[in-house]
Amino acid sequence: MIRRKRTCWTAILLVCVMLVSGCSIWPGQNDSSSNKKVTLTLWYWNRSIDDKLIAKAKEKFPNIELTAQKIGGDFKAKLKTTLAARSGEPDIVALNDWIMELFPSEDRFYNLYDLGAGDVEDQYLAWKWKQGVTPDGQMIGFPMDTGPTALFYRADLFKEAGLPSEPEEVARQINNWNAYSAAGEKIKEKFGGKVFLTDNIGTVYNQELSQGTERYFRPDGSFIGMDSPLVKQSWDTAVSFKQKGLLANADGWTPGWNAAMNNGEIASFVGAVWMKQVLQEAAPDTSGKWRVTRAPGGDGNNGGSFLSILKSSKHPKEAFEVIQWLQSPDNQLEQYKTLNLFPSAPGVFDTPAIKEEEPFFGGQATGPVFAESAQHVPEAFFGERYPSVHNIITRRLNDIAKQNANPEQVWPDTVHRVERELQR
Amino acid sequence: MWEHRALYVAISPFYILFAVFGLFPIGFSLYLAFHKWDGIGVMTYNGLNNFKYMLTDAEFWQAVGNTFMIWIYSTIPMLFFALIIAFLLHAPFVKFRTLFRVGYFLPNVTSIVAVAIIFGALFANNYGFLNYLLQSVGLPVVEWLNAPWGIKVAISSMVVWRWTGYNAVIYLAGLQSIPQTLYEAAKIDGASGIQSFFRITIPMLRPVILFTVITSTIGGMQLFTEPQILVGNDGGAGAAGMTIVLYLYRESFINNYFGYGAAVGWGMFLIIALFSIVNWKLVQGKSS
Repeated sequence: MIRRKRTCWTAILLVCVMLVSGCSIWPGQNDSSSNKKVTLTLWYWNRSIDDKLIAKAKEKFPNIELTAQKIGGDFKAKLKTTLAARSGEPDIVALNDWIMELFPSEDRFYNLYDLGAGDVEDQYLAWKWKQGVTPDGQMIGFPMDTGPTALFYRADLFKEAGLPSEPEEVARQINNWNAYSAAGEKIKEKFGGKVFLTDNIGTVYNQELSQGTERYFRPDGSFIGMDSPLVKQSWDTAVSFKQKGLLANADGWTPGWNAAMNNGEIASFVGAVWMKQVLQEAAPDTSGKWRVTRAPGGDGNNGGSFLSILKSSKHPKEAFEVIQWLQSPDNQLEQYKTLNLFPSAPGVFDTPAIKEEEPFFGGQATGPVFAESAQHVPEAFFGERYPSVHNIITRRLNDIAKQNANPEQVWPDTVHRVERELQR
Repeated sequence: MWEHRALYVAISPFYILFAVFGLFPIGFSLYLAFHKWDGIGVMTYNGLNNFKYMLTDAEFWQAVGNTFMIWIYSTIPMLFFALIIAFLLHAPFVKFRTLFRVGYFLPNVTSIVAVAIIFGALFANNYGFLNYLLQSVGLPVVEWLNAPWGIKVAISSMVVWRWTGYNAVIYLAGLQSIPQTLYEAAKIDGASGIQSFFRITIPMLRPVILFTVITSTIGGMQLFTEPQILVGNDGGAGAAGMTIVLYLYRESFINNYFGYGAAVGWGMFLIIALFSIVNWKLVQGKSS
């Protein structure tokens, strides 16, 4: 009996030893041995920072041990659970255009103004810069790329429908949403309803809204109201596009969207600069037929990301140096060349890389169009509840577009749902 | 007790893991259900507000309704097919039984994400395979993923595809446990095949049927990945594919109402408990 007991203990001990030796629970042992290198971890998602640039940063800062981790899957959820757990946080983290959701937790981030961000403020687009600053004036996000919007259109289809087809001419004649809608009716008539003006109702609502200066909230957090002229007007435009039969009802990021684009069923859409690559990959057969020009109704922005330093970091100064270097105007230009990330530093807009001609767009240099757009994006305040309110509205618009819900009934119901949402 | 401490230590990993990953989350979610928490900031006591909001939220009730509809659309054909398949597999004339058993079980171990992507391509409104078939025989196209019932059919078909074989294997085990002598005795008494199916097979299988009904109730109420991959976090057009768990996920992890999400979780617990009792009564009741 005693012997059996001893075997049992030995077995347990053995298992424990194996577990412990397998996963090292004493990290940082080699910290003391190396010559005082500062260790920084950086979280980013695939294609948000150029991997080669990160490799260069390691050479540039020999005193810093930069560990860049590409976080896959749902980046936002992983970041939020890490923040909730208050352990294992990285020093530097990339944030996407949902940065405003983190404004209520601004105390978890370093104020980049305290680290000297103010010195380079004038090198970046003002509206973009402000998106990283909380209503209290704390800067938690350093500008990375942006997503200025423009009108993508099929020059051949526009021409066939008797519409202008040269970018300047299109921008001049189709310069507001009414003119754009009228162009859509011409296309519908010409092609017997086989070609739609644009992809889906969300695109229309979203883009018209992004051309304005106000969203749903004032900087003090109060709700502007659903009767805000911009919200109502964007809603009405989107609904009228549905009623006139100008929408293909193809949602982005679906095989249906790709197929509709590739088969020439969609003549145009207002999209951000990063849609260039999405479109090229979705619709290779339409190469050379697309052009880009300033969007009807004005310029807007969709997407773009930021870099932040978490309060748990022990080396904020070094972290800021790395951020500032990674997103310096020259390096942003570098990442435009490698990853198509559109710079938020207007100083590099006048360089040859931006003016490069693109065969997919019939030899047009589309960079200057987006550069022009980027400089005219209206400044707008989002507020941390922007995503949930915006989501309710676009969901209800989809009911109108896809299930033929009656807009007269959907509108008051939407207003009611938004009000309920804000009471929580 | 103390003299057996080595043995207690040996079995302790299960209890420790259960306490950390089972007991604590259950307790914490109950605590959370009475609080308001965005996942990062401070938790504030919210009383019964989360539950009040849930009971008055049209989308929650729509999610409950959707979940039940999808459960009905999927469970009835699934258990029916499973019973037939099990019966056939049990029949003496079938050869290569193991092959068939493995074959029917295979869908169950396929990644749901892959399944949802394939079904998405089958049911797609434009350029979908089903619509291609409909068109090629001259029928009008169905907008599967825009129609409220179409979304439910698409999700249900995924569930049926995935779980029919699993249930068939369970039924097969049940069939094999019925003593052959009962059938022989029935045969001597002059019973037909159909008579012995309804008088012997079904009554003897009742506990197994009850088991499959309850497991598919729990599984059906917890449906999440299929609708999420197929129609997205908002449940697709008109939120027709919004299930209770998808709603819970969206409210907690997309809209950051973690307290509310916990309350929905407890609401779902009550619904599953009630529903399982009702099912149990129904299936039990048939015998008397």
